[in-house]
Amino acid sequence: MPELRRDPIIGRWVIIATERAKRPHDFSKTAESAVDNPEECPFCEGHEHMTPPEIFAFRDDKTSPDSPGWKVRVVPSIAPLLRVEGDLGRRGWGVYDIMNATGAHEVIIESPQHITHFGKLSQEQIRLVLKTYVQRIDDLQNDPRIKYVMIYKNYGKEAGGGHLLHTKSFLIATPITPKRVKEELQGARIYYGYKDRCIFCDIIRQEQEMGERLILENDFFVAISPFASRFPCEVWILPKNHNCDFYKITEKELTSLAEILKEIMNRLETGLNDPPFNFIIHTAPFRKKVKPGYWKTLEWDYHWHIEIMPRLTRVAGFEWGSGFYINPLPPEEATKFLKEGVNNE
Amino acid sequence: MSDELLKPLLRRDPIVGRWVISGRVDKNWTPEELKKFVEKHEKTGKNCPFCPGNEKMTPPEIMADRPQGGHPDTPGWRVRVVPNKYPALKIEGDLDKRGIGLYDMSNGIGAHEVIIETPDHFSELADISVDQIQKVIFAYKTRCLDLKKDPRFKYLLIFKNYGRVAGASLEHPHSQLIALPIVPKRVREELKGAHRYFDYRDRCIFCDIIQQELYDRIRIVADNANFLAIAPFVSRFPFEIWILPYNHSSDFSEIEGDEIADLAQILKESLYRLKMALDDPPYNFIIHSAPVGDSNSEYYHWHIEIMPKIIKVAGFEWGSGFYINPTPPELATEYLKAVEYK
Repeated sequence: MPELRRDPIIGRWVIIATERAKRPHDFSKTAESAVDNPEECPFCEGHEHMTPPEIFAFRDDKTSPDSPGWKVRVVPSIAPLLRVEGDLGRRGWGVYDIMNATGAHEVIIESPQHITHFGKLSQEQIRLVLKTYVQRIDDLQNDPRIKYVMIYKNYGKEAGGGHLLHTKSFLIATPITPKRVKEELQGARIYYGYKDRCIFCDIIRQEQEMGERLILENDFFVAISPFASRFPCEVWILPKNHNCDFYKITEKELTSLAEILKEIMNRLETGLNDPPFNFIIHTAPFRKKVKPGYWKTLEWDYHWHIEIMPRLTRVAGFEWGSGFYINPLPPEEATKFLKEGVNNE
Repeated sequence: MSDELLKPLLRRDPIVGRWVISGRVDKNWTPEELKKFVEKHEKTGKNCPFCPGNEKMTPPEIMADRPQGGHPDTPGWRVRVVPNKYPALKIEGDLDKRGIGLYDMSNGIGAHEVIIETPDHFSELADISVDQIQKVIFAYKTRCLDLKKDPRFKYLLIFKNYGRVAGASLEHPHSQLIALPIVPKRVREELKGAHRYFDYRDRCIFCDIIQQELYDRIRIVADNANFLAIAPFVSRFPFEIWILPYNHSSDFSEIEGDEIADLAQILKESLYRLKMALDDPPYNFIIHSAPVGDSNSEYYHWHIEIMPKIIKVAGFEWGSGFYINPTPPELATEYLKAVEYK
């Protein structure tokens, strides 16, 4: 019997289609791979002149910006979706509303070497990448026009990864809190209003107790297959310590996150034959100049986390129209598979 | 056309409140840029369960248009409706809502049907006759009226996935119908948005959109006596098209007489213009209609949304619900209008 499962946070329903359950291996056929030439890659060390001037970098002492000697480098997108300059200019157009496309769009180049898979980076390098995210968010929160910063990765063609294969992530800062983020915050607040507890903390407790969806845990993080997984082998990584802002992560947590993230990435890569995926850091919006009462309990009710979505099934008309997802692999099966990942090697 | 609209803008959908980044800083994308992303789909025509003669390869038919009569599950049909062989939801049983700790679940009850749009494996909606499309629309209507009688179903979703990238797994022209035991989230959002507007203005927002589009005249793709096809002001996808009935009605299944013929005409024209402008791109279309038992609503207005799937939806869209559309709808309209349609 197929099941309908409801995401307890935002209320999105997922069809777990047990009737046409597939093995994770059935999906890996669709995974696509490609090659790229480091000679032409604008993100490789020595090619700094091929990008717009850098915004930030972790680099060796006595090296200057836009020259070799860096470990992680952040540059503006060459074709930004949103521009840093100018004001919002909110206005109407008949029944419609518009504003200027103001914000920031940056690329985080995750390695000076031409490495294409995030999981191939050393744990220390991943820690530096995560630390770069923290630095950028911390800097952007000074801009009063910016309400939200989203950090994400598109890996592989099916996940919207572009023609440049060099490992990278993106940052988009928006002048409004995005709709999906608001829905998630609202869901968390409703639960908190009812139970006086953070729903994510409750999820962590339940998953640790039940075990059937717990993939991994280390000192500060758990990796789970969410109960209402939208995609086969979807993984969420949640910090055990309650905190709504990713950028307030501690040094110890950074190391622990780098460890669990690398492990999960490697298991997905080997287990699913290098699948395309998206990963998104879900974190709280900036809370300055708030209306009275707005986001009042956000620090207690919201819990930052990372969602990793392998893109092996196609989202089609039904999902678009309904907001329902059809997932042919029950998350409990996915957990077994991702747990066994290590033993198989 | 106002140049202002060709600049990069954030546009807000007045119904569901979703924002779209429309237009690009460097250069707005024209069909030239978009066509590079369109995958060629060539049909092999092999082992097709939807072709005449292969009726036994599908579950027994639910209905069919057979002008010369004849037995079910034999050739001689023009449109045929069958249950999906691999249904996402099952028709038998009860919902049995229950919880596991803090999670909620229920059985996956529902109907999942396939509407085979033509016996001809190699044609497409954009190419077949308006008369044939009328038969398809009539099949949609008939199935809706029948499924509405089942009290377990709260929502009927009719959609089409065309092309591999848009999720089609079979080549033969077909659309699908899913009957759901709950009103889905996206639909509830849309209803809520429309309701809020109605509360404030005492007018249907879709009727207002039609009025504004007839006044602006820069986003009209096609029109006839009963329908208007527009590139919506807040297009999420390049070359997105919406088809709206002039006549305010919240329930697609109440469509009648001339309206069926006019809908067939405008659907074909819209899909044809899209096909020609972008070298046959993959697309989804979805009929947005009121939930079962909620017909005659003053604030909701049924319509069809056609979404070409040329650019991949990536992490940012997933996480934010923001969309990025490199082709402003006013520009898309120009290209769609430039296609010659007899």
